[in-house]
Parts: sequence; structure tokens; C-alpha cells
Amino acid sequence: MKQKQEQQLEQQPEQDFFLPDFCGLRMVFTVVLLSELFALILTVGQSGTSMDLWSDLALISFFMQWAGLSCAGVLCLAHRPLSRLGNDRAAMVSYLLLLIVIALLSEAAYQIGVATAIQLVTPNHLEFLLRNITIGAIVSALILRYLYVQFQWRRRVKAEGEARVQALQARIRPHFLFNSMNTIASLIPTRPQVAEETIEDLADLFRASMSDVRQLIPLKEELSMAERYMCMEQLRMGERLKLELDVDELPMDLLLPPLTLQPLLENTVYHGIEPLPEGGTVRVSGSRSHASVDIVISNPLPAAGVSLREPGHHMAQANIRARLEAHFEHKASLQVEQDEHEYRVRIRLPYAGKP
Amino acid sequence: MKVMIVDDEALARERLRRLLEEDSDVEVVAEAANGQEALTRCQSARPEVVLLDIRMPGMDGLEAARHMAELDPPPAVIFTTAYGDHALQAFEARAIDYLLKPIRRERLTQSLARARYLNRSQLSALDEARPEAKGRNFLSVHRHGSLQLIPVNSVVYFQADSKYVTVHHAEGEDLIDDSLRLLEDEFGGAFVRIHRNALVASGALKGIEKDNAGHIFALLQGTKNQLEISRRHVAEIRRLLKERSKSG
Repeated sequence: MKQKQEQQLEQQPEQDFFLPDFCGLRMVFTVVLLSELFALILTVGQSGTSMDLWSDLALISFFMQWAGLSCAGVLCLAHRPLSRLGNDRAAMVSYLLLLIVIALLSEAAYQIGVATAIQLVTPNHLEFLLRNITIGAIVSALILRYLYVQFQWRRRVKAEGEARVQALQARIRPHFLFNSMNTIASLIPTRPQVAEETIEDLADLFRASMSDVRQLIPLKEELSMAERYMCMEQLRMGERLKLELDVDELPMDLLLPPLTLQPLLENTVYHGIEPLPEGGTVRVSGSRSHASVDIVISNPLPAAGVSLREPGHHMAQANIRARLEAHFEHKASLQVEQDEHEYRVRIRLPYAGKP
Repeated sequence: MKVMIVDDEALARERLRRLLEEDSDVEVVAEAANGQEALTRCQSARPEVVLLDIRMPGMDGLEAARHMAELDPPPAVIFTTAYGDHALQAFEARAIDYLLKPIRRERLTQSLARARYLNRSQLSALDEARPEAKGRNFLSVHRHGSLQLIPVNSVVYFQADSKYVTVHHAEGEDLIDDSLRLLEDEFGGAFVRIHRNALVASGALKGIEKDNAGHIFALLQGTKNQLEISRRHVAEIRRLLKERSKSG
């Protein structure tokens, strides 16, 4: 348990650090691959005779792998201290480190070459070192630069994603706000207590609409908010609006984004019930299968010929869909079903609890 | 001053009534919950001013105002609404009075003092303001000295003679003032022109018939009358019927 906590603490600064973890298997594999690639480039690029090509490749590959893995090893060991330096300084220090490693390795390679009498690519000591360090400097600079740009890109994508989720804040129709204000104004002289309760409900609803979108709430809370919303609309519309709840089957601890149901109920009232002179019934029903839960919200459709309210732009639905996707990916969905008499929205949510 | 309150919400009517009753000059003579009801009550109670909610089921406030302008004398209209409908934008320019809910006492008094019935340009602003822009739901006709409403979806066809346009509908026929061209513009796809003098509800169109002399007639649901289709409209009518049979 303690170890787990430490790991989490360690991961914290890594989010803002441009160097990836060179100790990981994936990174080691990438380093091996890259080293071999550069070895190939260097071998092919040399103006030697084609006879020596294979032995040259073997020799250069050997050296490049050695250099690449050593560099990775150094960056792996230095990862934590480097991450404390901040990105700019860490970039410079790691570049210096890489150059030192390459210089040391080149010197070692030269000494081994002399001792074992392997034919080196360039016999001149100084030229050999300079050449290796120049190549190393260019390649290291390229790779560090690549890692840095990739890091910035990742950071931007993440920021954009967060901004998008923030923008998905559930919105309550201004119509509803002003209608409710009017209802409250009407209630104050005659039924002050109902007016007071209505203000409390309104406050709860707006608090939820301004809450952190990344948070999930239990279904119990969402349902009680939805019911309070419907009560307010019933105050306003009287007998015309009826609500039928059939949610006994639903697990009340199911987690969902706040204001998943309310905007859909708002739609049923705005598009479904309000245009009907005689009103109608909004139904909310729930069912569950082994790993998911379905909530269906339905309202009657006016008979053909009755003028409909201008069709919505499905803003609320698109918004809910996007929020569900942000939280549950493909495991949640929102579907619209429609026949002659009824308009239904079906929300499917993942639920892992015991049946 | 005689005032009528029109709003589909009982609480909204209740509040307006209370505000109005504080003013000893004002008498609330009627209340209504939708456009049709408002027109009926308007004719019996004869209010001088109507406080008219814009968003109502059935016939909305904008259309009700249009029909009220046909009354003699027409009442002054003040619209009420809870939130900036697009309607309001069209009103701003034409100085049609509207009140935002919850309505302030002073604003209500002010509006009542300067309420006038709608003039022609304001009436055309109402048409612009209707968000659906798909025309009226009802046609108003004068019959035996009172204003009657004909639901547009009960109309089978309009026919023009030299002077008038006759509307043939489920309940009979009436004369109206609008010209065929204006009706065609207003109701767009719901009606098709089959002849210089006839506009037919596309839903009522059942088929085409040819007589021995080579004249082509339209078969219509809800009437035995056969209307001639002029040569230049035949192709379009055929296309329409074909499309419909395809879509089932």
C-alpha cells in the first residue's frame, strides 16, 4: 500500500516533464531500433568499398547499440534529479550528459580498437573522437528536440480535451429560469412557503449546473434533482404536466454526470408537453441488465397537424452524449427512439455493482 | 379600462390580475389560456387592451394578435414573454409593446397608458417574428358579423374568381381577403398550385384524371368537386404524386 502511494507521488511531476521514462521496456526497444537505424545510415553513407560493408555495419552497429543503451541508461538513472530541474535546464543538462557519455565511449572504443588491433574506421585518434562527438551531438540534439516537441503537443492535446469537457457544462434554458422567477413572484403573496421551497429547488438546480463537470454523482441525487425540477414545472403548468416514475429497479448508487436526466426532462416539457393544449404525461422508467442500466425518458407526440414547436438543435442531447463519452467512452450511450405517438430517449450507463 | 389576460400558466394570470386590480381604473373582463380561447372571449367581453403571452400551446400569441386585428374595433395588444424570443427582435423596430416576465408594476402601468391597437406594419412584423415562419395555423373569416377560425389543416383548396378567394374546408366554404399568391407564399409546401385560379392542399391530392376532351383534373380527398389542372402544372403534380407513392 505504501509503495503504491509512493509510486503515485513519483508520477506527479512526470506529467510536466518532457523526458520519457528510459527504464521502460518500450523505450529501450525504441532506443535499440533507433541506434540500429543510425548505424545503417552511417554505414551506407560511408565512402568505403562495398566489400567491407557488412563488417563495417557490424562494427558500427555494435558501437551505436553500446552508445544508445548507455545514453538511455544514464537518462534512466538521472530521470528523477533531472525532473526536478524544470524542462529547460533538464534539457541542457541531459544534452551535456549525453555528450560526455558519447565522448567517454568513443575514447574507450578507440583504446579497445588499438589493443585488439581491430581495423578502425579512422585510424587518427583525435579525428575519431571529434567525428563521434559531432555525430553524437547532432543525433542527441535531434532526439531531445523531438521529445520536447512531442511533450508540448501532448500537453496541448490534454489541455484542449479538458477545455472541451469544461465547455460541456450542462446548461439550463434561460426560459426555465425566467418562467420560474415569474412563478415565484406569483406565489409570494399567496403561498409564501411554496415560493420559498421553489427558490431552494432553483438554487440546487443551478448549483448542480455550475458544479465541476468531471465529478460524478449517485443516481439517487440525480433523480431527486430531476423530481424537484418537475415539481417546479408542475407548479407552472398545473394539471397539464404529469410525471410517472418507474425506477425501483435502478441501483441508487449508480454513478453518472450531474444533470444527465434533467436536461432531457426539460426537453420533454419544452418540446413535448408545452405545445399540447391538454398536456400529457412524461415517463421515466429504468431497467438493468448484468453490466449496464437503461433509463428511458418518454413524452407523447402531438397528433399530426398540430403545430409543433420549432425543432430543437439537439443541443442537450449532444451535450449529454459528449459528457457520457468523456466519462464512460463507448460503455455509455444515448439513443433516440420515436414512433407516431411517443418520443423516447434511452440512456445506457455502465454499472458494475452486484445484481 | 377593460383588460383581458391571456396566458397558459394559471400562476402567471393570477399575478397579472393582482397587479391590475391595484389600479382602480382597470377592470379585468376576461382571462384565456390559449389563442383560440382568447379570440372567442375577446369577441364577447370586448376588452380595450389584451395582455397576450407569446408562447402558448395551440395558437400562440403572435397569431392570436393577427386575428384580433381583424375584429372591429380591434383591441390594443401588449405582449408578455419570459425570455428573449427571437420575436422580440422583430418587435424592437416596430415599437410593438411587450413586457418581460416577471412583469414590473411600473412597466405595466406605463404600457397600459400608451397601448394602441396594432397598425399594418406592426402586423407584418408579427409574421416576421414567428419563429417557425411556416404561416398561420388558422385563417380568420367574418361570418354573420363574428370572427370565425378555420384551421389551416382542414383546408382542402383555395379557389379564386374575378374578385374573391373562396376557401373550401372541412366545414364548408368561406370568402377570404388574401390573394392566392400570398397564400402560396405563406404556406409553401403544404399547398400546391394546380391552376392560375386554384391552390390545393398537397395532403388532399389523391390522383389525376383525364376526360375525353383531354382536360386533366385533380382528384381531391374531402370534396367531390373536380378541379382542372392547367398544362403548365401537370408535370409537377405528377412528380409529386409519384414521389408520394414511392415514399409509401
